[in-house]
Amino acid sequence: MNHLVHPASQTSFVPTDPLVTIRDLTVAFHGTVALHGIDLHIRPGESLGLVGESGCGKSVTWLAALGLLPKSANVAGSVRLQGQELLHATGPVLDRVRGGRIAMIFQDPASSLNPVHRIGRQVAEAVRLHRGLSGAGARAEALRLLDQVGIPGARARMDAYPHEMSGGQNQRVMIAAALAGRPELLIADEPTTALDVTIQAQILDLLQQLRSDTGMALVLISHDLGVVADMCDRVCVMYAGRIVEEAAASGLFDAPAHPYTRGLLGALPALSGARQRLQAIPGRVPDPSSMPPGCAFAPRCERRIDACDAGLPPLDAITPGHLAACIRADRG
Amino acid sequence: MSLLTLDHVSRIYAMRRGWLGRASAVQAVEAVSLTVQPGRTLGVVGESGCGKSTTGRLALGLEVPDAGTVQFAGQAMPPPNSAAWRTLRARMQLVPQDPLGALDRRLSVARQIAEPLTIHGIGDAGERADRVAMLLQDVGLRADQAARYPHALSGGQRQRVVLARALATGPDLLVCDEPVSALDVSIQAQIVNLLVDLQAQRQIGMLFISHDLRVIRQISHDVAVMYLGRVIERGDPDAVFADPAHPYAQALVAAIPGGRGGRRAVLQGDPPNPADRPTGCAFHPRCPAAVSRCRAEVPVLKPRPGDGRLVACHVAQGESELGLAA
Ligand SMILES: Nc1ncnc2c1ncn2[C@@H]1O[C@H](COP(=O)(O)OP(=O)(O)O)[C@@H](O)[C@H]1O
Ligand SMILES: Nc1ncnc2c1ncn2[C@@H]1O[C@H](COP(=O)(O)OP(=O)(O)O)[C@@H](O)[C@H]1O
Ligand SMILES: [Mg+2]
Ligand SMILES: [Mg+2]
Repeated sequence: MNHLVHPASQTSFVPTDPLVTIRDLTVAFHGTVALHGIDLHIRPGESLGLVGESGCGKSVTWLAALGLLPKSANVAGSVRLQGQELLHATGPVLDRVRGGRIAMIFQDPASSLNPVHRIGRQVAEAVRLHRGLSGAGARAEALRLLDQVGIPGARARMDAYPHEMSGGQNQRVMIAAALAGRPELLIADEPTTALDVTIQAQILDLLQQLRSDTGMALVLISHDLGVVADMCDRVCVMYAGRIVEEAAASGLFDAPAHPYTRGLLGALPALSGARQRLQAIPGRVPDPSSMPPGCAFAPRCERRIDACDAGLPPLDAITPGHLAACIRADRG
Repeated sequence: MSLLTLDHVSRIYAMRRGWLGRASAVQAVEAVSLTVQPGRTLGVVGESGCGKSTTGRLALGLEVPDAGTVQFAGQAMPPPNSAAWRTLRARMQLVPQDPLGALDRRLSVARQIAEPLTIHGIGDAGERADRVAMLLQDVGLRADQAARYPHALSGGQRQRVVLARALATGPDLLVCDEPVSALDVSIQAQIVNLLVDLQAQRQIGMLFISHDLRVIRQISHDVAVMYLGRVIERGDPDAVFADPAHPYAQALVAAIPGGRGGRRAVLQGDPPNPADRPTGCAFHPRCPAAVSRCRAEVPVLKPRPGDGRLVACHVAQGESELGLAA
């Protein structure tokens, strides 16, 4: 049923203590709950994919974790970077962590870069902030980073402005700036969504290369299951502000347990074999202000029974390491 | 007879603000030949800027080609905004990517779906209302949604409204320009299924434009791959995606996320600048297989020896040496 090829895992894990542990993370905007208690962890060097339709809370999870949401957001729970609590930490603490041990890149590099500053200066500024280098030292390091992310003729391109570069090149610049603080974890939020498919492949390749060179962990937020299948060791599927399935990528793509995950995979057109009608998921993601009772996916679910409306399905182990929040899930 | 025929169609835009501020000419579409059969779908795929939307506008007669001809149902395309063209518009409609931009925020769904009927003077008020009710049903919207305004609908629902409006006059041809690209995969599947059903019921011919190879394969009976204004490969979608002949088509297929490629052969380099077209084959600066002939001579789209796949590539044609072609 599934049209995704997941390459053999690039990294194998000796179980280690998580780098980041999120516990019961809840976010509300003006009294409307958008995130309903997320539990998530990422180990050093691991690549974790976060998938789900738009509005499911993928971005809000990490914006909340890093203290990047507007003041109007009501955030509760716990986010620990090894021993250190990040939620509601002071400005100086967060400033050291963000762009330092944890860096983040977004979908639209052009809007994250400053249009009036040369790219070399912007990367050098990140180096100055997070590595304490200045002047020629910072510039030299910026050049090394631009070179590392594959900007051709990096020395000459240091003086270019963002509008003089293509979308793919600007995303490379963003990645260079993110690497300035030698992060242990890179959060990439839809980093290739705005790019053409061959340029997307280049950027994903670069991220994979950087991961194997530096050993940094990667959280890849994407609505594209194919991208996550290519890139990630472990995957969390989000729906309506909750994690509904979590598994090793191979387990998730070969044996999806939650009807929502099965639906997402069935909706994706195949690249070979006989043409089959797509299995569209009927309806759409519920609005956070009018959540259905019980399982939030039940109104769209082909396996729904009355019991689904009675209460929230717990995120239970289907097989070891494979969790699904569904009372009707396929059990291994 | 073909429903739509583009024969060596070219379109050049004068660009004021060129790459470095100089005025320049952009060859958006170059010698493109395509046909759409009644009840069949031609998929047009390629990366941004390769000329897909321009091809769609040329196909609808919204723009006049600088060279070549467009024929609809055997007749030459009349000039834009002529009386003959306006009459023809009832038979050919556009489904754009951005439904919110295509809809009028101040008009109810029902009014907008009825609009083409009013414009073309089809039916009286009562008949139009009946027709709108049927169209709503055909595209999977509820009757009570007729009174809604675009902003009160989801992206998928808006695209259904745009589709209902395009279907109102009973067109023979739909030009769908990235109609599902802005939608989540689950909603995308709903719209793709709907298009397939509508085509089967009404024998509509479709020119379906997308950068998404999965969607193109799902919906097309025939596929054209474009690069920098030219069709570089054309054929049966299963054959083209299973065994692409052109090195660019190979790179595109290899780059599909979650596909067999595993991104093993990542295409290097940036997309080309249309205002500064490389000599010879436009793909040669990025092409792993390029030989000297590729820099000198534009390859034409023609059947390759053996299986007759249409491909515009000296190497794929086995004619990589200069002067070998007769
Ligand atoms: N700044 C904000 N103010 C109010 N609501 C927000 C804000 N940011 C996100 N939301 C809401 O939170 C939910 C999750 O959004 P988000 O995390 O951006 O989804 P996605 O999974 O697409 O990244 C959505 O319903 C969205 O509308
Ligand atoms: N009205 C226009 N004026 C000038 N240049 C244009 C115009 N429309 C398109 N172009 C240029 O023509 C090329 C092809 O564009 P388009 O057909 O929109 O490509 P696609 O739909 O494949 O992204 C691009 O380089 C684009 O910038
Ligand atoms: Mg998001
Ligand atoms: Mg376009």
